Amino acid sequence: MAAVPSISELRELVAGYEFERGHLLPALIEIQERYGYISKDAIEVVARQFRSTPALVYGTVSFYADFRTEPPANREITWCSGPACRLRGGDRIREALQHTLQLPLDGQSRDRAYALRLGQCNGTCSEAPQVWLDGKVIGGLSVAQAVKLAREVKDGV
Amino acid sequence: MNARLEALAAEARTRWDADRATGREQINLCLDTSSLARGGAETLAALEAAIGARGLSVDITATGSWGFCWLEPTLSVRSAGGTRTVLYHSLTPDRVDEFVEATIVAGGDFPELALGVVEGVATDEIGLLEDHPFIQGQVRRLMANSGQIDPANIDHYLVKQGYEGFAKSLEMEPEAIIELMIESGLGGRGGAGFLAGRKWDFLRNATADPRYLICNADEGDPGAWVNRILMEGDPHLIVEGMLIAALATHSVEGYIYIRHEYPLSIERMNIAVEQARDRGLLGEDILGSGKTFDLVVFVGAGSYVCGEETGLINSIDGYRGMPRTKPPFPAQAGLWNKPTNVNNVETYANAPLVLREGAEWWSSVSEDEAKGTKMFTFSGAVNQAGCIEIPFGLTVADLLEKYAGGVPGGAALKGYQPGGPLSGILPASEADLPLTIAPFRDLGMFLGSGGIVFFDESTSIIDLCTYFVGFCEDESCGRCTTCFQGTQRAVEILRRIGNGGGRETDLDKLEDLIQTLVWSNCLHGSFALTTVKLALRYFRDEFEMLIREKRDPTRSLPGMITYEITAPGDPSMVEAVAVCPTEAIVGEGAGYTIVDELCIRCDACREVAPDAITVRDRFAITVEASAAG
Repeated sequence: MAAVPSISELRELVAGYEFERGHLLPALIEIQERYGYISKDAIEVVARQFRSTPALVYGTVSFYADFRTEPPANREITWCSGPACRLRGGDRIREALQHTLQLPLDGQSRDRAYALRLGQCNGTCSEAPQVWLDGKVIGGLSVAQAVKLAREVKDGV
Repeated sequence: MNARLEALAAEARTRWDADRATGREQINLCLDTSSLARGGAETLAALEAAIGARGLSVDITATGSWGFCWLEPTLSVRSAGGTRTVLYHSLTPDRVDEFVEATIVAGGDFPELALGVVEGVATDEIGLLEDHPFIQGQVRRLMANSGQIDPANIDHYLVKQGYEGFAKSLEMEPEAIIELMIESGLGGRGGAGFLAGRKWDFLRNATADPRYLICNADEGDPGAWVNRILMEGDPHLIVEGMLIAALATHSVEGYIYIRHEYPLSIERMNIAVEQARDRGLLGEDILGSGKTFDLVVFVGAGSYVCGEETGLINSIDGYRGMPRTKPPFPAQAGLWNKPTNVNNVETYANAPLVLREGAEWWSSVSEDEAKGTKMFTFSGAVNQAGCIEIPFGLTVADLLEKYAGGVPGGAALKGYQPGGPLSGILPASEADLPLTIAPFRDLGMFLGSGGIVFFDESTSIIDLCTYFVGFCEDESCGRCTTCFQGTQRAVEILRRIGNGGGRETDLDKLEDLIQTLVWSNCLHGSFALTTVKLALRYFRDEFEMLIREKRDPTRSLPGMITYEITAPGDPSMVEAVAVCPTEAIVGEGAGYTIVDELCIRCDACREVAPDAITVRDRFAITVEASAAG
């Protein structure tokens, strides 16, 4: 994952995409997969490629929860917001995670060491309540376990 | 029957037979998202290691799900001679060695983890799978192959009569296909239940070209994963269904719009589309018919409202996924303003069955007004979070007892949500409703897409309302003031009530909002407060108790409770102090107290020191009110 995408790299990446073929989301997804986020430069390059404006492209980027406009953190706790988790204390886990990490949902630490993300239900509800640590499911979580997990992530253990 | 398809099927059969006549044991390991969440990948690695270490050779195939999601990883073992196949569950890496010893080395069964015999005879210890209580009563048509075939190998689908329904439709006029679909009575599986054949007919009668098909695999209802089970278990069913729809409607291109939360579904659908294209089942001159149709797997980027068909269309078009105003309907002006038909995954998946087996066979499974089978997933206050396929008409209570395994800990059911945040909630007293379209529609709600969430007596209705309306607020596209502002106001009022600040006028205000939101442009806005509407109808006393008595009967709302240390000398208090994320527990020894202003009611301390810490009502008005009452 290159740290800062250059404009020429970005142009090359989106060169084959056409707005008329429904390629805006695929182009944005490819940029995010490659660089981890969609930079201001990327928005401008995409706008030019699609003969659109940065405002319109940013409007689309900001509409979807999965697009990020900042580089991602090294470690990520994604909290499942689904109903099965909620019914088993998921919201108390959220409170505890936010206070332990001192972050709002979808926030990350200043040094980009760790982040807390809001996750949508993917139907692995037998594991409720759960979080994903860097994509890996940690299920059947108690609040106390969530606090310990968050402290480990925060302390870089 | 189409000669090219026959040739494809014959080749597939040859390879399938050869694969099954190797004299090796064959393991079908479910590796869907649920299984992966429960360590399926680790079990696979352990199996490969255990088999390799013994110098054995066993074929392992990654399959989709049988629906036993709470018992993953599940796997079936077919004996070397092919005479016996047994399905097992919950195989964790630490059990793999003894499992391999018993089933592969000794060539026997492993009764302790057996679910049932798939092929072969039952024994004293293992019954037939079809007699398993979770399988009994199910009619598994869409799920017939899931768990038993390799979803990444088109040969397997072809062997199971795959694309035969499509081959039949190739010999029919579009009108005849649509007539058959209407005759079957197949209704849209996304929730509304509108006849798929009628919807297809709108597109067939469109005046412009090109025409497009869209498969809505955005499955955004939290607690629903039926589409995921289909895409991960038998993806070609969806490809074939869309091919049939393409013939009936003269469409040239189709999009399968999958939410990004389903990476494995995206992968398996992409493989299916590629393989279908390789075999000449997609692209130009399909099976020598001169017809052209191709599919694109389109990945979403996180937006619930893109599950609304016109929001979804805008999303593919490259705009914010904001639902459009109707008319024009998608059949007139959809994708790129061209005629378009949008159906749910499960709707398309049924089409091959209708074509292959006929409308009468297809609809005869159900006595109900709604025809065919329906897949349901269930979660929340259940012992078994899983997925089933049944004819319409089973009652909610029967589903809960028979398939979801009842409520954990013997707790009483308080209510349920039939299908997603927009569908509404009902109390336990309405659990005798049959799972079909009409009864829910009659109550001013809808059945939804199949994800049922059960909740027990420990759940606060006000919390549920705040949660679901909050979800709708977050996911509102922002077009209609009724929706994006109305949900905000409703959440404010619900939070106020839940924090003990409810006012006598609040329930009227909520009723006003319910009336107002109905005038939103799309279903998202007009159904965003269905949960509140039904909660006020069935659980009004809980709202009134909160407003008038300042009491939460579930003692779970953070704003209505305080935590108190009742046994400061308890040895587990040390751990409670350490776990508190806000350092709200101060003092030491016998002098521990909780600083209420710092306490966030996360319950971590009580979890580790249950005998030392007690939850109390925050307000004392209870006594006064009950004395007056």
